[in-house]
Amino acid sequence: MQKKKSNNVFEKIYMGIIFVFMYAPILTLIVLSFNSSKSRAKWGGFTFNWYIRLFSDSEVLNALANTLIIALIATIVATIIGTVTTVALVGLNRKTRAVIMGVTNIPMINADIVTGISLMLLFRVLHFNTGFFTVLIAHITFNIPYVMLSVMPRMKTISPSVYEAALDLGARPMYAFRKTVLPDLAPAVVSGALMAFTMSIDDFIITYFTKGSGFDTLSTKIYNEVKRGIQPEIYALSAIIFIVVLGLLFASNRMKNVKIKPREMDERKAKGRKVRLIAATAVAMAAIVFLGMLFGGVFSKKSNQVYVYNAGEYIDPEVIEMFEEEYGIEVIYDEFESNEIMYAKVAADNAAYDVLCPSDYMIAKLIQNDMLYEIDLDEFPNAQEYTGPQYFESAQAFDPGNKYAVPYFWGTVGILYNKTMVDEPVTSWDVLWDEKYSGEILMQDSIRDAFMVALARNGFSINSTDPKEIEIATQDLIDQSPLVQAYVVDQVRDKMIGNEAILGVIYSGEAIFTKRENPNLEYVIPDEGSNVWIDAWVITKDARNKENAKLWIDFMCRPDIALMNFEYITYSTPNIAAQEMIEDEDIRTSEVAFPPAETLKRCDTYVYLGEEGDRLYSDAWKKVKSAN
Amino acid sequence: MKKELIQLQHISKSYDGHMILDDLNLTIHENEFVTLLGPSGCGKTTTLRIIGGFERPDSGRVIFDGEDITELAPNRRQVNTVFQKYALFTHMDIAENIAFGLKIKNKSQAYIKDKIKYALKLVNLEGYEHRMPDTLSGGQQQRIAIARAIVNEPKVLLLDEPLGALDLKLRQEMQYELIRMKNELGITFIYVTHDQEEALTMSDHIVVMNKGYIQQEGTPEDIYNEPENAFVADFIGDSNIITATMVRDELVNILGTNFACVDKGFGENKPVDVVIRPEDVKLVERGKGTLPGVVSHIIFKGVHYEMEVQAGGFEWLVHSTRMNEVGSEVDIRVDPFNIQVMNRPASEDEEAIGVAE
Ligand SMILES: Nc1ncnc2c1ncn2[C@@H]1O[C@H](COP(=O)(O)OP(=O)(O)OP(=O)(O)O)[C@@H](O)[C@H]1O
Ligand SMILES: [Mg+2]
Repeated sequence: MQKKKSNNVFEKIYMGIIFVFMYAPILTLIVLSFNSSKSRAKWGGFTFNWYIRLFSDSEVLNALANTLIIALIATIVATIIGTVTTVALVGLNRKTRAVIMGVTNIPMINADIVTGISLMLLFRVLHFNTGFFTVLIAHITFNIPYVMLSVMPRMKTISPSVYEAALDLGARPMYAFRKTVLPDLAPAVVSGALMAFTMSIDDFIITYFTKGSGFDTLSTKIYNEVKRGIQPEIYALSAIIFIVVLGLLFASNRMKNVKIKPREMDERKAKGRKVRLIAATAVAMAAIVFLGMLFGGVFSKKSNQVYVYNAGEYIDPEVIEMFEEEYGIEVIYDEFESNEIMYAKVAADNAAYDVLCPSDYMIAKLIQNDMLYEIDLDEFPNAQEYTGPQYFESAQAFDPGNKYAVPYFWGTVGILYNKTMVDEPVTSWDVLWDEKYSGEILMQDSIRDAFMVALARNGFSINSTDPKEIEIATQDLIDQSPLVQAYVVDQVRDKMIGNEAILGVIYSGEAIFTKRENPNLEYVIPDEGSNVWIDAWVITKDARNKENAKLWIDFMCRPDIALMNFEYITYSTPNIAAQEMIEDEDIRTSEVAFPPAETLKRCDTYVYLGEEGDRLYSDAWKKVKSAN
Repeated sequence: MKKELIQLQHISKSYDGHMILDDLNLTIHENEFVTLLGPSGCGKTTTLRIIGGFERPDSGRVIFDGEDITELAPNRRQVNTVFQKYALFTHMDIAENIAFGLKIKNKSQAYIKDKIKYALKLVNLEGYEHRMPDTLSGGQQQRIAIARAIVNEPKVLLLDEPLGALDLKLRQEMQYELIRMKNELGITFIYVTHDQEEALTMSDHIVVMNKGYIQQEGTPEDIYNEPENAFVADFIGDSNIITATMVRDELVNILGTNFACVDKGFGENKPVDVVIRPEDVKLVERGKGTLPGVVSHIIFKGVHYEMEVQAGGFEWLVHSTRMNEVGSEVDIRVDPFNIQVMNRPASEDEEAIGVAE
């Protein structure tokens, strides 16, 4: 007995731990969605602000509407097809049934990424225009097995003799099915539909690959936003989605457990009516939304477009509207998470976008693989007049002869430190190896940036491909790792604002923002030199709207537009006229935003290392990571 | 002769390459109580499902009242079925179950109400209108299934082991009930069972099946008294089946001893099987019978004693109201008309095909 009791306690503790693991992160997220401070590190008081902001953000709402419409239609269609298929399958003999079940289950067992890519390829082969309908078809495809999986076990328990009895008594097959099989099947069908709906709302990967450009659902939208730091609106949104999905799963489980007992007859009938009501409402909603879309979307579609593919949060949204208004060109605007993802997409379909905004080394790779359209700077009067010639000069490092790219933003990598917590001025990367600051150092979780620090510290080129130099840098990074609090990407900002670390490697654009939030922070480019990066606009080789793309690029170089973008993004603008127009004197003269020429001389852009070089770095990086 | 209602002509059916029915021919007359009798898996349900329209034969025709209905859908046949597993509609109450077929035929409310009442009375379940099927016992459910079928006044009622799930007493009650209904309603019953006693009790006509072949057809008396082969003899009641030699007409050598019999036409010195019912084996004093033997075992069965007698190297089963103690020495005597002589098949498959040829 005693033993049993202690077993119970153990069980409870175990369950408790599992629950904490599962729900603690979600709870954190929900709490943060009510935090009035933008920082994750400090609690600034309770607010509904993020929820209000969320619901006034038309892009997010649009994505939400897309998600719901797709989920709804996909669920209805998949439920019908899945149920009918299952019923038909049960009529077949065992062997055929096993084979067909196996085949239909493949999309479910298959990795999403395989399903997503194969559908994308199929749509391309069939010359479907990717967008709403391709995503819808994809969702229907992957939802059908979920419906079947839910309906099949129930269907198997239903004895065919009940259906046959109805036929025997004179019922036509459809009537017999409706009267005998369907009532028994209904709970499983509803639960399958709920499951499909949940899966549809939840899906990211398949949607991402089948959506093409200019169309977003919530999940792809959120993914885009994540790039330059997650906005608290997203916490609010995620909290809402979590609650909705939880509710649906709960409802779906309830449905499965409904057992029909005679005394519950009336109740059950009432429930049936309710289900019917919900279904009717859902259908009506879908119909309205669908018609709305047809009239609102398809018919008003302008033929004059430009497809833009930019990094997330990398433009003032108002700029897009201004461009559309001034030129009457519709902008189909998409955001990418990283240069690598952008490259994959453009490599798969060069004509998907007209104009891109990659980083320096990636532009080199695009040029090397003949994926860009050669431009003539004479066609870009604003760029010629207002973009500082020194930036075109720097761009030659990755675009010799300035034949492809027009600089958009640039910046440096440096050390952000809390001046109240260090004893001496920070001037060298060496400070990141100072044991005094053990546990107080943040490094960038990115191969090139981490190695740049170690290479620069040793006086090597930051683009070194000399195995000996890489080995030294690797050893340095391994030696440093006990002192490092964490390898992170966008948390440097939050942690430094919250005084959680003393030193961090950071991009200059982020530094301007963090300095505003915490005046004790200082940014420095160490004496050994560092990386200067340039993001620039390029046109894809097979672009369908090249003229519009040129208009877009030159519009970005107009001083007032460059200024708007600068104020929104706070990275350094190469636009001299815009720089002079900055109102805030501190920023206009800020050495963080606009470092003096002699500092910049110490800095280099990254160049594309080639496949060999990429492998050298990533092998070394694995060693560093596993030494941690 | 009664009118021919259903004819199964050269019906064959196989599942996954297994022959279940092979060239089956059967005629069912109007107003008859026909029983398909045979061991489990012999194809009884399959035959019934072909008549009901739930299976299509691979070849052969189903003729109903002179019309070919082989391709007709089940809902358009004038046949109703009581299924082996009740198959009540669990989410409808008893009244709705019974009314199901009538509603489809657009009968008036009043008519339906009347019929429900009448049918429930017929199956002795008055007042059960608003119960749900799963609150009824197995026997009650079975009776509802019967009521649900007969309210449609079919020409033919198919019943697939309808009493299989019931206890002995209820089964006997229901047997009489069914006979009563059949007489009252004047419809043709095709009844499936593997219980030979049930078949003998209820039927006008019995069809004995084995491995998809009809072994013998006839009245219960024909089948019991004159089994045409060892299978039928063995299946219908207990019997002594002994290999023997037909010496000549009206004389058969059983276990080395000659017995007088009434059968003719088997030829001379031909191998045969003989069937002798246990109640036809008479035990008499030593010296007064044909074959000497010793009683080896005895059980009291209520109406009679069941004894085993070792005689001529064979264990004879004997039913008698008089007992002979174990160990007593007796003689066996059999009246000539109680010896049933049958052809002996050479193999088991030939045995199944038996009379079909
Ligand atoms: N749908 C089917 N698929 C495959 N084989 C089947 C099917 N239905 C019946 N059989 C086979 O056909 C044979 C005859 O079956 P049937 O149901 O007619 O037997 P039965 O005489 O009614 O037996 P029981 O007395 O056990 O009900 C069996 O061997 C059975 O396994
Ligand atoms: Mg059967």
